[in-house]
Amino acid sequence: MQININNLSFAYGTKTIITNLSLSLNSGDYLVVRGKNGSGKSTFIKCLLGFNQVKSGMIFFDKVDITEFKSWTKFGYVSQNFDDFNYEFPLTVGELLQISSLKKTDESTRLKLLEKMGIFDIINQNINSLSGGQLQRVFIVRAMLNNPEVLILDEPTASIDKQNKEFFYDTVEELHQLGITIVLITHTDDIERLNYTHLLSMYGDLTTTFEERGVEISGGVL
Amino acid sequence: MFLSFITDLFQQEFMLRALIAGVMLGVLAPLLGSFVVVRRLSFIADTLGHFSLVGISVSLFLSSLGITMFFDKPLYLGIMFSIVGGLLIELFRRSYTNFQEISMVIVISLGAALSAIFFSLSKKTGSLYNYLFGSILTVTDYYIYIILITALIVALLFIFFGKQILAVSFDESSAKFLGINVNLFQIVFIVMLSIVVSVLLESAGVLLISSMMVIPVAAGMKLGWSYKSTLIISIIFSECSVFFGLWLAYTLNIPSGAAIVSINIIILLVVAIIQRIILKKRIAKMDKIQ
Repeated sequence: MQININNLSFAYGTKTIITNLSLSLNSGDYLVVRGKNGSGKSTFIKCLLGFNQVKSGMIFFDKVDITEFKSWTKFGYVSQNFDDFNYEFPLTVGELLQISSLKKTDESTRLKLLEKMGIFDIINQNINSLSGGQLQRVFIVRAMLNNPEVLILDEPTASIDKQNKEFFYDTVEELHQLGITIVLITHTDDIERLNYTHLLSMYGDLTTTFEERGVEISGGVL
Repeated sequence: MFLSFITDLFQQEFMLRALIAGVMLGVLAPLLGSFVVVRRLSFIADTLGHFSLVGISVSLFLSSLGITMFFDKPLYLGIMFSIVGGLLIELFRRSYTNFQEISMVIVISLGAALSAIFFSLSKKTGSLYNYLFGSILTVTDYYIYIILITALIVALLFIFFGKQILAVSFDESSAKFLGINVNLFQIVFIVMLSIVVSVLLESAGVLLISSMMVIPVAAGMKLGWSYKSTLIISIIFSECSVFFGLWLAYTLNIPSGAAIVSINIIILLVVAIIQRIILKKRIAKMDKIQ
């Protein structure tokens, strides 16, 4: 999927968070969005996912304006700390995946995903009893169940240990190799090991830079 | 005493009607209650109940003016007003996204105020007690049919859209990535809930509806390990409370709604105590191993 962002600006009330941000991604690109806490990364993602309403003419998916866009099943999304999820009510991993695969997901695809992510054995466990790393794998499987073209991961390594972090980065790399467009949001500067194709840096003072690995395309706004 | 209760249960028509109504509501209340709890909207049933009461009071007021038509069955207007209340909550919820409970306070206050006004205008404040605390022992055949139709509608909705309703309940923001029309399902859910609350009102009373929906689920959550097991346990607890609540109401001659809710609370307390004892034993065992 082609993603085009033209002069995106967004404000909560009178507080401007993003101003004149532009970038383009092609199918299979791997974008890392880097910035400190409060720099506007999550706001940017919320705009991209349509949670924050933006004006028409700012974001296009395959040339369709976001305000007209309907094919959201092409996106897979893993939120920060999975905080949009209503926890504490008992729910097994299997049940979660069952209610998350509305399209007729191929059973063998599902089993392969579970096996690959190492969560096949916890399928009957209550999600409230899982560790941060296990939970993250479950939510990645959930996001991947319906074969998305774009996978968006918001601060995915914030609450997991080093071993799980490595596993996570390797998994993302594999998904990227499969041709899935990746948008990965992170607050750390430790991004050199990532095999990204594009980097968006947000500096927290409304300035941003967007570069193709090594080559600056736009930036220095304001 | 218990034997005479069992005999009367099957010999006295009013008792049998109460049992049938109770058994059906015993499934419906925790089923809808589980979704309400998942969404952190435990007070929504109370709020809808207050708005349903507006419908009932308006109905009584209109019939006091001699306008009957279908207003002689207050339940119909109760259901309609409850749906209006539900849609109002949804409307206010969207304008106070970070303070969603405000929407319920607005609707519950409006409901209470309007009910008081119309009950007073209808000059039938005497019937208010029944609507506040309910009476499952006085239900009619007509009411049984209404519950049956409601149960069928709910069952059909769950057969066809159960997955979608669950997905929206657990994670509203991600539901759109599953191709779900989130707004449509919110409205379907709120309409379904409004109907069930209005139907529950007659037997549980406006003040006890929430208890019938939420307390069995609260107890079920302590023992369940999955959504399915939690729901089944909640329904079993709910049915036990209906049966023993009826027995208590019959034996002590106390309001049935209050008796059912009291049994619900007792079950919750017993479950909480047992869970605590098991947890303490487990910790002691682990300490021993270490």
